[in-house]
Amino acid sequence: MVVTARVAPEVVRRWRAGLARCIRCGTCRSVCPVLEATGDESGAARGKMRLVEAVVRGELDLTRGMQERFSRCLLCKACTAACPSGVPTDALIVSARTALARENALALARRVAFTGLRYRRVFEAGLRLGALFQRAVFRPAPDGPGRLPRIPLPSAGLHARRLVPELARRPLRALLRELAPLPHPRARVAFFPGCMLTWVYPEAGLAVVRLLRANGIEPVVPEEIGCCGVPAATSGDAATGALLAAANVAALSAGSFDAVVTACGSCGAALAHDYGETLADPAARERWRALSAKVRDVTSFLAEVGLTAPLGPVPERVTYHDPCHLARGMGVTREPRALLRQVPGLTLAEMKEPARCCGAGGTFSLSHYELSRRIGDRKLDDVAGTGAALVVTGCSACRMHMADGIRQRGEALRVVHTAEVLARSVDAAAGREARHG
Amino acid sequence: MADRDLLRALRQAVGAEHVLTAVEDRLCHSHDATFRDALPDLVVSPGSTAEVAAVVRLAAAHRVPLTPRGAASGLSGGAVPLHGGIALSLTRLDRILAIDVAGRRAVVEPGVVTAAQAAAAWEAGLFYPPDPASARMSTVGGNVAECAGGPRGLKYGVTRDYVLALEVVLPDGTVAEVGDPLDGEGCGPDWAMLLVGSEGTLGIVTRITLRLVGRPAAQRTALAIFDRLDDAAAAVSATIAAGVVPTTLELMDGATLRAVEAYLHAGLPTDAEAALLVELDGTPGAVEAQLRQVDEAFRRQGARDVQVAGSPADVERLWRARRAISAACGQLNPTKISEDATVPRSRVPALVREVGEIARRHGVKMVVFGHAGDGNLHPNVLTNRDDPAEMERAEAAIGDLFAAALALGGTLSGEHGIGCMKAPWLERELGAAGMALGRGVKEALDPAGLLNPGKMFTFGAAPVAPPREPGQTGWHAA
Repeated sequence: MVVTARVAPEVVRRWRAGLARCIRCGTCRSVCPVLEATGDESGAARGKMRLVEAVVRGELDLTRGMQERFSRCLLCKACTAACPSGVPTDALIVSARTALARENALALARRVAFTGLRYRRVFEAGLRLGALFQRAVFRPAPDGPGRLPRIPLPSAGLHARRLVPELARRPLRALLRELAPLPHPRARVAFFPGCMLTWVYPEAGLAVVRLLRANGIEPVVPEEIGCCGVPAATSGDAATGALLAAANVAALSAGSFDAVVTACGSCGAALAHDYGETLADPAARERWRALSAKVRDVTSFLAEVGLTAPLGPVPERVTYHDPCHLARGMGVTREPRALLRQVPGLTLAEMKEPARCCGAGGTFSLSHYELSRRIGDRKLDDVAGTGAALVVTGCSACRMHMADGIRQRGEALRVVHTAEVLARSVDAAAGREARHG
Repeated sequence: MADRDLLRALRQAVGAEHVLTAVEDRLCHSHDATFRDALPDLVVSPGSTAEVAAVVRLAAAHRVPLTPRGAASGLSGGAVPLHGGIALSLTRLDRILAIDVAGRRAVVEPGVVTAAQAAAAWEAGLFYPPDPASARMSTVGGNVAECAGGPRGLKYGVTRDYVLALEVVLPDGTVAEVGDPLDGEGCGPDWAMLLVGSEGTLGIVTRITLRLVGRPAAQRTALAIFDRLDDAAAAVSATIAAGVVPTTLELMDGATLRAVEAYLHAGLPTDAEAALLVELDGTPGAVEAQLRQVDEAFRRQGARDVQVAGSPADVERLWRARRAISAACGQLNPTKISEDATVPRSRVPALVREVGEIARRHGVKMVVFGHAGDGNLHPNVLTNRDDPAEMERAEAAIGDLFAAALALGGTLSGEHGIGCMKAPWLERELGAAGMALGRGVKEALDPAGLLNPGKMFTFGAAPVAPPREPGQTGWHAA
């Protein structure tokens, strides 16, 4: 039986339309971080497109071997951006992963994790427990913040030397409730902090809040928002992705906000663009359409409305790393730089290829840790070339991955969120002691 | 079982992780940048000349066909393993061994990416001119095998003009040095030139010594619009007659201009028949003088408009249309088939008109652009490979295109090679004597016919190894 008989006809139609554009030129080979690190033809989009074509032509089943090869993609969108023929490689890879997951199921750890994600309260309780039990599983890193696994579990992405940040005891939303409302806000925005700023880097989440409030913007984190769904949807768990997307759209549509502000490229690109694909229900898609136009990364929102808070000196030499999903997913590259350049005393030194993937790739760094580190090493070499002491970026997954690499290389660099640098500058002007960054 | 013996021996020779047998990996090595596919039985990636030689010897001993490949970005099917057997991937041989500044040469392994090699030469203060459109992914080995060209060919020539010496593994597994790494002047016939453009049918190139030249001190760019195609062609001839040899002289025909304008909205005229993009390089004084001569020649031949770039941003702006062609064509029809045909410079307008006629006759969309300076044009068929009827019409149009190029005194390949895609027309170009000569050389070097079978002179020949039974998994089951 031809395997495509088990794939929805509209999915096969999309595959065929995408494949018709692929002229197999191999331009994707020249920009693919996975191909560069491994040399595998199946690493780049051209190889993956050939496999999808083989499935469409009945030459290949949706095999585990194909699933394994399709897992080796960072979804960094470098090939999508470089493709001279406009093949939607990122969407095709996700769509094939979905079909492969239906056929072969995902690895158990992912299935459990994504099922947990569906139920916000279960997820949050899990993370609170995680924060509690973290000390049992991980030991504090001897030389700075973060933790190292006590028992290495390479199959779960926990290698002996791997640095993981501490989980927060209380989510960002709870901390936010303690703040008094602004008297005369310029705007009222929904802040979508995403999982990373809620649980892993709450100080960066708070920096976003402080920065917005200092500029007369009132941020609100709606009660019912949860994970954006990207980790599930991009791994092939479309059902969980759609559930989470629908819940977030409902929560964000309930209030009246001037904008939806994100501080994570993956969450932002999902809310602004990918939900159009993720959402299964046409009514939810309709509601999402009105919402999508309001989604802004915190830097592009601030660049748009302008900074009103005075900026104080941050005497640092920094370099800026473009997160894949912020640069190619949301098209935000100029805004963070423009804001950083306004900070007195700060020197922005550009690295070679700042928009090249750092190797994190979300859950990629869990399932393919060694490969992910190798790709990250090239990024850190480029960072080192700038002589910067601080790497600024707009994505917490990049931050976590780079911080881990920096520790393993024994370097003295620090990685912070763009909002933290700007908040520090605002604090400096207000005469407050810089709290973070 | 012989196949298992071969597999074991190959794993021993290059390391088990460099022998791929999974169908997924074989599929990923079944094609180049054409739509021709053939599944190899094995993918083998040797890491040194000695390992290449070992693989070649094993293939010879087991009578297994062997098709070398680099980045597989070729446009004539050269790297497609038509008769199965071993796809020999050379991408692990990716070291730049030396950039010799005093001797003005580079020594590289075949898997080095063309652009990386050119960048290394540039950083050392030197210049490697051949710039195929695929330079960012293509390998130097692939460029040598296909004798790749590029827009700079008019002034600087093609890959052949930069090959000084080659190390090559011959079909029996012996390793030979051909050419001369000092000046390319070998003793006796120029064996290295026999291998350039031989597409891996005569030997496997494992090391390449390339000639480098000095970096040009200055560069200028101009874009001219012509109402009439004949005027553009006359302007090209007038420029060269005036003694000016531009680095690049790119032609875009009216169909190309309309496609690009519909996509870019950059204000390109949609009623013009042609545009010429010119680049000049050399010493600053000479370049300025040549720019004036070009401007004059173009205007005298009826250019509607000549824009000269005054800044790097301007240069980018003028190149924008040329670079947008692929994306623009993708808006008209999903699949773009890039062809390659060269005619005498004076026949460029005739070929462009012929292409328009062929497109009408077969009911397909075609655009023509390319290197007008040396008559090397790229007629492109815009089709949809998801539609078999349309692909059939496209193939018929391509057949007519080759016939037209030959009828105009032209040649089948400007820079893409012959492979299997153009092999059916090879005899028409070379004649019976030329084919016999080619087959004689092939037989003398590769009597068993195991190297890249089915290409060029062995196109259409029966597979050497007995075909396996359908369903028989052979060595991949091991």
